[in-house]
Order: sequence, then C-alpha cells, then structure tokens
Amino acid sequence: MRFRPHSRALIGAIAVAMTMALVGCGAGSRTGAQTATEVQCDFENPAEPTTINVLAYNSSAVDPFTNTMVKSCTKENVTVKHDPIDFAGQVQKTTATLAGDKGTYDIIETYGFIIGPNAAAQKLQPLDDLYAKYSAEYGLDQIDESMRKGMSYEGKLYGLPMQAQMFVMAYRKDVFDKHGLSAPKTFEELRAAGKKIQDAGDMKYPIALPYLATGDIATHYQATLNSLGSDYVDPKTKEPQLDTPTSKQAFEEMKSLLPYMDPQVTTFDQPKVQQQLFNGTAAIAVMFSGRMNDLTQEQNSKYFDKFAFAAPPAVESGGPLYSRLSIDGWSLPANTDKSPDLLFELIASSVSEEASKASIPAAFPARKGMMTEASSPYAAAAMESIEGTTPPESYPYTPDVSNAVISLIAQTVLGKLSIDEGTAQMQAAAEKVMAKY
Amino acid sequence: MRKREFALLVAPSMIVMLGLLVIPLYRTMVWSFQQVEYGSPGEFIGLENYTAALTDPRFHRAVLFTIGLTLIVTAALVVLGYIIATLINQLGRWRPVVLGIMLVSYVLPNVVGAAAFSWLFDTNFGGVANYLISSLTGAEILWFTDVWPNRIMIILDTVWHLLPFAMLIILAGLQGVPNEILEAAKIDGVSSLKSHLYVIIPTIRGVLFFVTLISIMDVLRTFDQLIPLAPQAVEIGNESIMLYIYNIAFREGSEQLGLGSAISVLTILLILTMLFPFIRDTFRESKVAR
Repeated sequence: MRFRPHSRALIGAIAVAMTMALVGCGAGSRTGAQTATEVQCDFENPAEPTTINVLAYNSSAVDPFTNTMVKSCTKENVTVKHDPIDFAGQVQKTTATLAGDKGTYDIIETYGFIIGPNAAAQKLQPLDDLYAKYSAEYGLDQIDESMRKGMSYEGKLYGLPMQAQMFVMAYRKDVFDKHGLSAPKTFEELRAAGKKIQDAGDMKYPIALPYLATGDIATHYQATLNSLGSDYVDPKTKEPQLDTPTSKQAFEEMKSLLPYMDPQVTTFDQPKVQQQLFNGTAAIAVMFSGRMNDLTQEQNSKYFDKFAFAAPPAVESGGPLYSRLSIDGWSLPANTDKSPDLLFELIASSVSEEASKASIPAAFPARKGMMTEASSPYAAAAMESIEGTTPPESYPYTPDVSNAVISLIAQTVLGKLSIDEGTAQMQAAAEKVMAKY
Repeated sequence: MRKREFALLVAPSMIVMLGLLVIPLYRTMVWSFQQVEYGSPGEFIGLENYTAALTDPRFHRAVLFTIGLTLIVTAALVVLGYIIATLINQLGRWRPVVLGIMLVSYVLPNVVGAAAFSWLFDTNFGGVANYLISSLTGAEILWFTDVWPNRIMIILDTVWHLLPFAMLIILAGLQGVPNEILEAAKIDGVSSLKSHLYVIIPTIRGVLFFVTLISIMDVLRTFDQLIPLAPQAVEIGNESIMLYIYNIAFREGSEQLGLGSAISVLTILLILTMLFPFIRDTFRESKVAR
C-alpha cells in the first residue's frame, strides 16, 4: 500500500499525538487489588461463571476494603470486578443503577446520607436475615452497634458498615509552636490562631476548609448547625429550620473564617485542601478523617512529619464539636439478580477482622476496638471527634433538602445574598421539598 | 449497485442511527412533556417543563453564556486556525512532528486536558500562568471565582482544545488551492496579504464554512471542561446549557429528567437556528454545483 505525501504526514502526525497521549494517560494507572490483604472468603461456588460488579469510589480509606474483596473473593467461578471511580462518579452511578428493574452493579458502596431515601424507595435489600445467618462466621457482632444504626432505616439494616469518617483537625505543629499556639477548641480560638499566623506573615491564608460550592459547603454548613445544636429539619415536626436565629448564626460563624482562607475557597474540595497542606500554604484544616493518612506520607509532602491532629473545635465553647460523622458500608441493590447469600459473603469478608485490621491507619474501621490511640497519629483525635459529634440518623428527605439549598448556602457564604435573604430562600426551598414527605 | 447490495451496505449504519439517534430523540421529545424520575414511567404535564425552562433566569444566563462563548471561540478558531495552517503549510520535513505535537490537545479527552489546563492557573498545583501574570502585573487574579477571568480561562481552554481540528481542516483546504492561481497573483504583483484576502480565502470558502459549522456545533455543546475549569459555574453565571441540563436532570438530586429533556429540545432548536445560514448556503452551493 502506498500513501500520498499528505497522507503520510497526517498519519505520522496522528501517530506522534497518540503516542504522547498514551504515555501521558498510562502514567497514572494503578492496580491496588494486587497488593491488598487476602482474607477468608468462603462462598458456595456458583454452577456457572459469575461476575460480580462492585461500585465503590477510590480513596485511601475505602480502597483497602474494596481491594481485599476483589483479591480474596475472585476465585473458582466468581470474578469480582471493580473499576476505579471518583466520589462524584459513584453518586451518579448509584442513582442510575438503582433506578430500573435491572442495574449494572451487584454491590454498592453506600453511606448513611443515602440509606434513608433508597431504603424508603425499596431500592436496597434489607440485610438483617443475612447478617444473623453469617454473623458468627465473620464475627459481625463485633461491628459497632451505633455504626449499624447509622446504616439502618426504620429499624432495618440496609448497609454493612465498613468504616466511619468524622471531621478531624490537622495543623502544623511547627508553626503552632513557633507562635505559642495550641490546638483551637472553639471557633474563636480558631480565628485567633489564623489571625496570629497571618499577621506574622508566615502564611497568607492559614485556615483551609473544603467549602466547594457544589458539594462540601453543605456538609460544613450542616456541621456548623449541628455544633450549634440544630439541623436542616426538625425530625419530630418535619419543619425546616433554616431561617432561624441559629441558622443565621451558623452563617455568621462560617463567614467569620473567610478572611483567613483562600479567596477561592468555594472551589476547594478535600483533595485541594490536602494540597494546600502538602504545599505548606495553610496551617490548619478540618476534613474527614479518611484524608488524614495522606498527610503523614513522606512521598506526598516535605511537611509530612510536621502535622499534628486534634478533634475539631466546637463553634461555641461547651457545645458539640464542629463535625459530621459519615459511616461507609456495603449495600446490595434490590435489582441485582445474583444470589444474596453469595453477595453477602463477599461484603462480610471485606469487613472481617483481618481486613479491618489491614485498613488501619488509612481507615477508621467499624469494628469495635480496632482503632486505639496508638493506631495512627490521628487516631486519638478521631476517637475524640466521634465522641463529641451529633450521632447520624438517616432520613429520606435529607439529600433532597441538601440539594435544594446547596447553591443558596454558597451564595450566602459568598455574600451574593445577605444572610436574611439567603436563609429566607433556603427555608422556602426546603419547605417545598418537605411538602413531598 | 443493485438495490439489495445497497440495502445490505446501508442497513448497519441505519440500525446504529436508529438506536443511537432516532430513539433517544423520540424519547427526549416525549419526556419533555412529562414529569419523569429514574426508573418510573412519566406523567404527562403538558407544556409545564417548557414554561419552567423559559421562565428560569438561570436558563437565560446559560443561553447567553453559551452563545457568547460560541461566537468568540468560533471566530478565534477560524482566524487562528487559518494563520497556523498557513504557517504549517510552509514547513518541510518537520510538518508531521509539528502537527503531531499540536494534535495532542485534541486527542486528549476533554476533561483530562481541561484539568491539566486549569492547573496552569491554580496556585495549588503549580499555577505557572498564574505565577507569571502575578510576577509581571503584581495582581492576584481569581481565575475560578471571578466572572470574567473565569470566562477568559474557559475561552482559552476551548480554543486550545479545538484549534488543532480547525487548523487541520484548513490545512487540507490550503493544500487544495491550485498553484497556478497563486503564481498568477504573484506575477500580477499582488501582495501577500491581498493574496490571502482575495485569492486563497475565497477559494477555500467552503472549507472555512465547514470549520465554522463544526465549531459552532462543538462549542454549543460545551460541557465536560467546565467541571474542572468552573467549579463555581452556577454561582457566577458561567454555566453552559449542557451543564445546566446535567445539573438539573442528574446532579442536583431532584432528577428532573422531564425538565432536562425540554431544555434539550430547546437547545436543538437553538443549534438549528445558529446553523441555519450555513446549512442554507451549503444547499445553495450544492444546487449551483449540479
């Protein structure tokens, strides 16, 4: 075959472009399952080759459980398949796979926030019978009762807890020591610490919180509300409480931190806040505990040995901590055609004692007594945080209310809406949502 | 070619088009008159979705932003594409290498390229462009939260991503310009600029129309690059129509597939309106050619 000169030039150009693109794409590939812990996974071998599709986002806290399941349970006629995905992708795919009569996934990673609505819509299988059947074999009675409650709806278990995440405060010990500061216990102390570091010229924006306008900001507003003793909706009356004096105070408190944070903070998710700490451009951050282990890794930052950890501050002295507790677990979609027993044995093995031990220090396992103060540099802080946090309860309306008000929260924090306007609009939006419940 | 052979050869593509184009289009039209949630049959609500879309200020902002972006980017693509294609056309043996390097931005998945592009302006990830601008001007530009800096960044990224395609097509057009015409212009003493304006550009007018047509269609569908480039798109009015559809139909939890479908139908009408002059001219030219 002969090519004309123009064609040869074009083919050459495309070859160069493809090579460069492929080299670039290949640089980030990972195969975590190969190095995962192998645990007991004894299921009744299905008669036909069976592929189990698992949906779970990648993070240093969830990966150990997912990878253990893939490595330990891919045998005989069973292949466990998990493709890398980020959290936003998981949220989309969860909605899609649970929608129809038949879904794409057989096992999905869930968390307390979404258990309520999906359980109420009968999109998840209740796990109580399977839990009782396999409890002894996999030691499931050692899973903390409050964690199981967090993954339950109307008294039924819909998610087998694997690990919990709670807010933890990370701070630069060297910077704090230099200025004679100790870990802030209240927002007032947090502001004072931020001001001292900023005034000294050490860092322009010493405080880092993930205030991403399309996601994390709602979690942090709810944490502020919780620390002031309130929430989106009163669970007894089902009345939204977003235009109350407490809600307005929550916004005042959130806005009071802005002078010490990057002016683009409403575009920062947790990885970006981590990056601020890695780079040494921030000295204090409050994030979910699953992000803390990364800070202690030498390959991530030259400051890896300078970080200290503490429970997050309370908004007001003596109040609950500024924290949220999120429990992650495994759920079985109602629309999977695979054997529930087979699927349950897979998820039970991934949260077994051995698997949970192996997940430390990246995760805070749901099993009792796994995490001790010596388990990781931030274990004591995480345990104190969990003690001082409002216990999570799953309600079917929480995600809808949160989605309805998130943009208004961002606009109020940014000052595009006054606090009075913002809270009034939030209340109206939430009341519209609650009319459905 | 016999009728049977013709049918056999055409059938696979017709089946694919029916499955991927006609059925989804039909479903979108039907849903646009319904209230639809995932996994449940829709409920007919007449024109409510259209009324909701047309009276939503956020939709108006998305339309204005998308049209503005389309006009600016398309103009930049045609002008820069022509200039770069002209320069590359004069290269010798290095042409494949230069073309190959230029094509990287087009071959990369849009969202990957946009994420890397956003790091140029993000101090957290190096922010080379940000650093240079700050060093030269002393200004701290908020690329992700201020309206116009964010728009400029989106325009630059979209041009960077689509320019290789425009340049490649125009380059093919330039290589089709007969040497005789160029030499005749040279002999007549026509300057280089006039040669481009009055000889080359009229000759490749059809190619430039094609590039404009494709660019308009591409930019009107701007979506994935806004995820890394405009995390605050909704709050600062830099939400494209496609991102708006995605946000209300999938992302914001309320799963308003009916409303999303109605906006999709309106978007199809908008695209057809913007392309109408080019489609009409193409028809006229093909008539003349016959």
